[in-house]
Amino acid sequence: MIVCVSVVGHQNNPLYIQSFTDADDALKLHHVVHCSSTSSKSESGTTLNEAFLGLLYPTLNYKVYGYLTNTKVKFILVTTDLDVRDTDVRNFFRKFHAAYVDAVSNPFHVPGKKITSRTFAQTVSNIVGSYGLN
Amino acid sequence: MAPVGPRSGDAIFSSIDRVNAELFTLTYGAIVRQLLTDLEDVDEVNKQLDQMGYNIGIRLIDEFLAKSGVSRCVDFKETAEMIAKVGFKMFLGVTASVSSWDADGTCCSIILEDNPLVDFVELPDTCQGLYYCNILSGVIRGALEMVSMKTEVT
Repeated sequence: MIVCVSVVGHQNNPLYIQSFTDADDALKLHHVVHCSSTSSKSESGTTLNEAFLGLLYPTLNYKVYGYLTNTKVKFILVTTDLDVRDTDVRNFFRKFHAAYVDAVSNPFHVPGKKITSRTFAQTVSNIVGSYGLN
Repeated sequence: MAPVGPRSGDAIFSSIDRVNAELFTLTYGAIVRQLLTDLEDVDEVNKQLDQMGYNIGIRLIDEFLAKSGVSRCVDFKETAEMIAKVGFKMFLGVTASVSSWDADGTCCSIILEDNPLVDFVELPDTCQGLYYCNILSGVIRGALEMVSMKTEVT
């Protein structure tokens, strides 16, 4: 069960955050995302083209996965699944990256500002919906 | 060189130089963004896009006629078909369809299912009246004016 996805800019500023549970813990998730993004700063100098950071840290109830792009934009995935397949998460981030690229190609999007594209939100919901089904 | 007969849009499109579609889309997006920043008024931007399109159209018509070798169109219906099938295919690589003819045959709609100019674009709420592709209207208007046909394109 994916609980939350988030896009964090290169200055650790949140660009997009969306949660998929009913619980109103947006602030807590935000805090988790921020902590995980700062902890990932130690891994700089990516040699691979797309750095899948892997499990950032497991807390009590959920796991946090990170993905770093070449432009230092990070995608954070928070999930409550106990048993998560690596390939699933990688696939997820690949699709998420494609959706992100489409969103920032919008000429009306200002880099560094929050992503307000409704298509992006819709695509992300679809990706989350189809996560783990195949 | 023997004069070639009218060629289909596909044939011409595949034989001329092409540019990367994303580059084209992003460039057009940048133009519209800059116009919005400079003029700040949506109607002004629409007018400017139309004017820019007009300037392109009056020059483009010669290229179109030279490359496609079509003969004179008999009536307006044929003209519209020519624009939609050959013109759009040749320059944008997409085929448009013509519909909604009125009773006199003087007014029609050209529908583009797949418009490369608007890939990735989402209009923000502040620019709701913007005709993002108004440049295309200007191009058609300019091109037709050079073949002595005064039209109004919106």
